[in-house]
Amino acid sequence: MAEAVFLALSVITIGSAIAALELRSLIYGSIALMGTLGGIAGFFLLLDSPFVAMFQLAVYVGSIAVLILFTVMLVKRELIFKKVEDKRRKFVGIALMLVFMVALGSVIMDSGIKTITTDKPAVDFRNIGADFLTYYWPALILMALILTGSITGALVLARREDVENEQRTD
Amino acid sequence: MSVIAPNFKFSEFVKSILDNAFWILLIFTLIGIPAVMLVLFYIEMPVINGELLTPFLALTWLADPSRTLPILKAFMTTDLFKIAAFPGFGFAALLAAGTIFIERKMLAKLQLRVGPFYCGKIEGILQLMGDGLKLISKEIIIPAKADKPIFWAAPVIFVATAAAFVALIPVAPGWVVADVDVGLLAVFAIIGFFPIITILSAWSSNSKFPFIGGIRALHQMVSFEIPLILSLLGVVILTGTLNLSEIVASQTHFPWIIFLPIGAIIFFITILAELERIPFDLPEAESEIVAGWLTEFSGMIYGLVQLGTYLKLYAFAALFVVLFLGGWTGPMIWPPFPEEIIKDGIVMGPIHAKIPGLPIFSQEMLNGVLWFVLKTVGVIFFILLPRGVFPRIRIDMLLSLGWYKLIGLAFVNIFIALGLLYAGVLGPGGIL
Repeated sequence: MAEAVFLALSVITIGSAIAALELRSLIYGSIALMGTLGGIAGFFLLLDSPFVAMFQLAVYVGSIAVLILFTVMLVKRELIFKKVEDKRRKFVGIALMLVFMVALGSVIMDSGIKTITTDKPAVDFRNIGADFLTYYWPALILMALILTGSITGALVLARREDVENEQRTD
Repeated sequence: MSVIAPNFKFSEFVKSILDNAFWILLIFTLIGIPAVMLVLFYIEMPVINGELLTPFLALTWLADPSRTLPILKAFMTTDLFKIAAFPGFGFAALLAAGTIFIERKMLAKLQLRVGPFYCGKIEGILQLMGDGLKLISKEIIIPAKADKPIFWAAPVIFVATAAAFVALIPVAPGWVVADVDVGLLAVFAIIGFFPIITILSAWSSNSKFPFIGGIRALHQMVSFEIPLILSLLGVVILTGTLNLSEIVASQTHFPWIIFLPIGAIIFFITILAELERIPFDLPEAESEIVAGWLTEFSGMIYGLVQLGTYLKLYAFAALFVVLFLGGWTGPMIWPPFPEEIIKDGIVMGPIHAKIPGLPIFSQEMLNGVLWFVLKTVGVIFFILLPRGVFPRIRIDMLLSLGWYKLIGLAFVNIFIALGLLYAGVLGPGGIL
């Protein structure tokens, strides 16, 4: 059962990732991207971590995919997407991807992942939260700082000096 | 001579009856018995009361209540019943249908109109059924140059997503379709799908009004999701769990609205915005952009979207009840099942009918469902009420409300919850 689900999820994830790259229609491409992100959430569910899976759905499908969809719909695509059809680039890209896949795969396979027994109970998300707030607190603070910095930077970049605010505020 | 059948002959009548009997027997032997055999061969039938559930006894089940009731009880514990009928889709759709009728009638009364009146003689009670039949029988018109796959799929996915939301709501102790450990997070994940479906259906209809409505819906839903999530964190901090059933069970003494009224108010306002109800109905503002993102929908596609909308309304109201009003908890007001019927059976004159397994539902479950439905109907009433009272607000007011005021208030609510927790008043090990 788990093997069948794993295979189906792999097909969905990789297939929709390829579709997201290859489809001509940008909207369908972003829908395929949602399929990829949802498939990864399915992998997390399969790995007994529904907490991460739900966050994957809420953040990646619910927010980032929406953002991409929104951008694609509002932007004139001729302005940012020039057609660069080049067979050589494609093949080089595929070769690069294969090299990366083989390298990462060999690293992961050598890391002793095969010796891990899987009959341990899944880690409770409460323990993860407790670890984050006690032992790993510098990482949490660092993440918060990076996020705050990026939001501030986005606000600064989005600000325009040349537009007078004509909207009534009340 | 009868007018209905002018050429009536008794012999023909007998012949037709014999004909029917012949065909029924033929179909039974050629289709019925092989079907029973197929069921026996390929489907694993459950064992109920120590005997196998064989389809050969189908007619006996119908006649004998002492055989029917255990089968019914066994069926009610299956996932199919839970998904399709009681805590899931059927129950929610029934409440949603009631909501539509009450909304139309109540809105009419608020505006000194009559509302649905003629259909069904008594206060237009069959109006909803008539509307449903009309929607089913209408032609579905797809605009030219519309993106057909998305246009067809979006309403179906909308209803499916709303039904998935409904599946997470616990109605009575143990009566929930999906009792997941991260229930509230699953709610957040499911809510995140609604703007995608809305914007995709709006884009796919290739028309200006739906697209404007879809963009407005996206703005509104995405910006109100953040205060929605933040306003519920107070409850999670105080209960220390994300499971909705455990959150309800933590409210046996007092509902959380007593300690977190700010969170409840924020959540209620965000419900109104997520449901696109007045005063936040900009995505389907009928006086500005026809019907917003619903403009191009017709026939049963529109019906599906309406069904999904009202399922969503029920689910949000039920979530409010679960998180802030104590869910199914309440004083026991449901009368107990009569003891003598369990002991002696039903006595009618000389007849004693002893029926084993009689209280089908326990008293706690019925009482819980009663309280849950009462509270949910109350919340639904308060969701419907602004429609007769408030005007529609502008989009910049909506966005500034969502981004400035509600998020700030949500943080105030979180600090209240943290204060109560660290002062030792509530939460695990608290004095209350």
